[in-house]
Amino acid sequence: MTGIYDLVPAIALLPLVSFVVALFAGKYLPKKGALAGIAATGGSLVLSLLVALTVATSDGANAGYNETLYTFLEGSSSAPFSLELGVLVDPLSALMLVIVSLISFLVHVFSLGYMNDEGETGLPRYYAGLGLFSFSMLAFVFASNILMAFMFFELVGLCSYLLIGFWFREAGPPSAAKKAFLVTRFGDYFFLVGVVAIFATFGTGAFAGSESFPHLAEQALHGEHAVNTFLGLGEQAWFTVIGLLVLGGVMGKSAQFPLHTWLPDAMEGPTPVSALIHAATMVAAGVFLVARMYGFYALSPTALGVIAFVGGFTALFAATMGVVKQELKQVLAYSTISQYGYMMLALGGGGYVAAVFHLTTHAVFKALLFLGAGSVIIAMHHNENMWDMGGLKDRMPVTYWTFLAGSLALAGIFPFAGFWSKDEVLYETLIHGLGESPLLLGGYTMGLLAVAFTGFYTFRMVFLTFHGKPRTEVAEDPEPVRWNVKGPLVVLGVLATTLGAINMVPIKKLTGADIDYLHQFLDYGPEAFLTNVHHYGELLENPEFAGYGAADIGTTGLLVSAALSLGLALAGAGLAYRLYNVPEPVEHTDRLGRLKTLLMHNYYQDEFQVWLATGLTVPVAKAADTFDQSIIDGVVDGISTVSRFAGRGVRRIQTGVVRNYAALLTLGLVLLVAFFGVTGGWF
Amino acid sequence: MIETQWYLLLSAAVFSIGLFGILVRESALIYLMSVELMLNAANINFVAFSLQHGNLTGQVFALFGMALAAAEVAIGLGIILVLYRNFETIDVTVPTTMRW
Repeated sequence: MTGIYDLVPAIALLPLVSFVVALFAGKYLPKKGALAGIAATGGSLVLSLLVALTVATSDGANAGYNETLYTFLEGSSSAPFSLELGVLVDPLSALMLVIVSLISFLVHVFSLGYMNDEGETGLPRYYAGLGLFSFSMLAFVFASNILMAFMFFELVGLCSYLLIGFWFREAGPPSAAKKAFLVTRFGDYFFLVGVVAIFATFGTGAFAGSESFPHLAEQALHGEHAVNTFLGLGEQAWFTVIGLLVLGGVMGKSAQFPLHTWLPDAMEGPTPVSALIHAATMVAAGVFLVARMYGFYALSPTALGVIAFVGGFTALFAATMGVVKQELKQVLAYSTISQYGYMMLALGGGGYVAAVFHLTTHAVFKALLFLGAGSVIIAMHHNENMWDMGGLKDRMPVTYWTFLAGSLALAGIFPFAGFWSKDEVLYETLIHGLGESPLLLGGYTMGLLAVAFTGFYTFRMVFLTFHGKPRTEVAEDPEPVRWNVKGPLVVLGVLATTLGAINMVPIKKLTGADIDYLHQFLDYGPEAFLTNVHHYGELLENPEFAGYGAADIGTTGLLVSAALSLGLALAGAGLAYRLYNVPEPVEHTDRLGRLKTLLMHNYYQDEFQVWLATGLTVPVAKAADTFDQSIIDGVVDGISTVSRFAGRGVRRIQTGVVRNYAALLTLGLVLLVAFFGVTGGWF
Repeated sequence: MIETQWYLLLSAAVFSIGLFGILVRESALIYLMSVELMLNAANINFVAFSLQHGNLTGQVFALFGMALAAAEVAIGLGIILVLYRNFETIDVTVPTTMRW
């Protein structure tokens, strides 16, 4: 039954073909390469579903696949590790393959409405970018080792850069693209160092199996396997350092504080790109990477604690900024940052399944919200300011109802998808916090507070956009959208409503029904891969490693936790309902006064980073330049000046008169003879 | 048989005459002759030591020295001709352009 697994590389290669087709033949094709992209990602989706189905229905070793495809550097005695490209299919990557190819497929269809129907130019370039992105992201997902993961991690970053800067003739997009590239590259710098450290420490970068680096690290802590550690650190401390280095790349890509500043600017790109790259998939790459090597992070309580705190803080921090934004996509951008914070919180808090679950539901409902926003933007003739909208509810019902489903999921309202996943995130963090790791409660508190903010900004956005009276002429008579916009919205809307059913843990705990399907699915992989949930659970609970113990807070605690997050979400949503669901809403956030100014300026994070560049780096660079120019160059110039000066004096003995040369020769000979005579004792 | 040191004295005297010619005279032709004297002083040394040691190598070397001297004269005369064409003189103190 390995037949389907042999086709896994094709999942990524199909979009690569569509990239080539769109790039070279796109302008001769009727839809400028869109059809090739749709066909390719559709094929990828079918294959991904087949692979996921095979994983779910097989048992034992057939439920996964871990093979090397191509070795580009053979290991030798001097360099005892090989660098290779491989395929790793286990439940986690199978799930992620389905998510990525599904969203990619729907975004391609949506692009027909958003790009082709709007008469954009440069479409072959656009579809080539989407194809290349889909290829890189899918290959990243099934990467079997961390070096391959790093390579495709960088490629998705490149595609992000290319697509944010799609409208390169305007002022904003190229600048936003550069910022996104530089900020994520800053994080990737640490990731690269981490990759090298992993190879230097373990001699392998493999993710799964008994020869994988997470397992070698586990054995090293047991004292069963020797590894190289550096900087004079013990094994546990050194593994923490490696984990934090890799986390640098994760924080850049998943837009975690303080490297989140690029994501709101990335909204300059076309909206389908925002939906695909900057909401559902590429930004998920960071979180996915942590989940991929969770067996490694589970060994280090410090790294987990940092992940949880960064996540919790980012969730709250980004949510507060989302409250005051005036543009539809900006609100969504901050909510994306905030939601990825939740996933990090879950990973750090020991809730591996919760994080993957939230990743899945978030990919669906956030892609839905972005595509819904794209639909609104088409209707509003590319005006994104929510204060110019209003009353769109009756004029574009399909967009409204699907957007509402996405918003309810985002805010975490029962029974939409987001409720189940966010509740599980908070619940897992809470029980581990109440158990052995009280520090997690800090992250939990921030995450819980952010729920209220999420409810508020989500429904402020919904009410301002769709409710009340139209505030401009365009909103009175919006441009209609076609099937290719509505189709993806409906698919995602249905999913956002129902996807929570894949992992209804609270119901299971209350009734005993065996319906935590995602949890079971993530445990289907072959035992030998050591990537199954129960293995991670053992690592987490082992006091030698993370030492996470779960407190038993019983059914009451479960209900209280769920009620708390639902209540806060409803409170936020209710406040938004009171303030903004009126025919003529006014900007109530003005009452925040100077706080609003602070929030509108994103806590001056951008200014701070610009200051870091111009106020700190430039003077240091100038000082270094001065040192180079004066000291280093001075020494070199000094040596040459001395030589030239000496040469100018000494050359005067070169008279050009041959007799003088003969005299000098004779003199030299006499002196030489005299010298040998004296030292040789002739006299 | 004449003792070797007499040959050496002769050779030193011939060499010194040659050196004197180079250091004080100005004509290029005298130069050439002086160099010839110095070379031959060396040849006398070779032959004298050859005789002392009863070894023919020194004499063979003297033959090489004479061939060298002949070649040197051929080149030297060529240089002197060019010198005369350029400067209308064979006074070696006049051409001083071959310097910095």
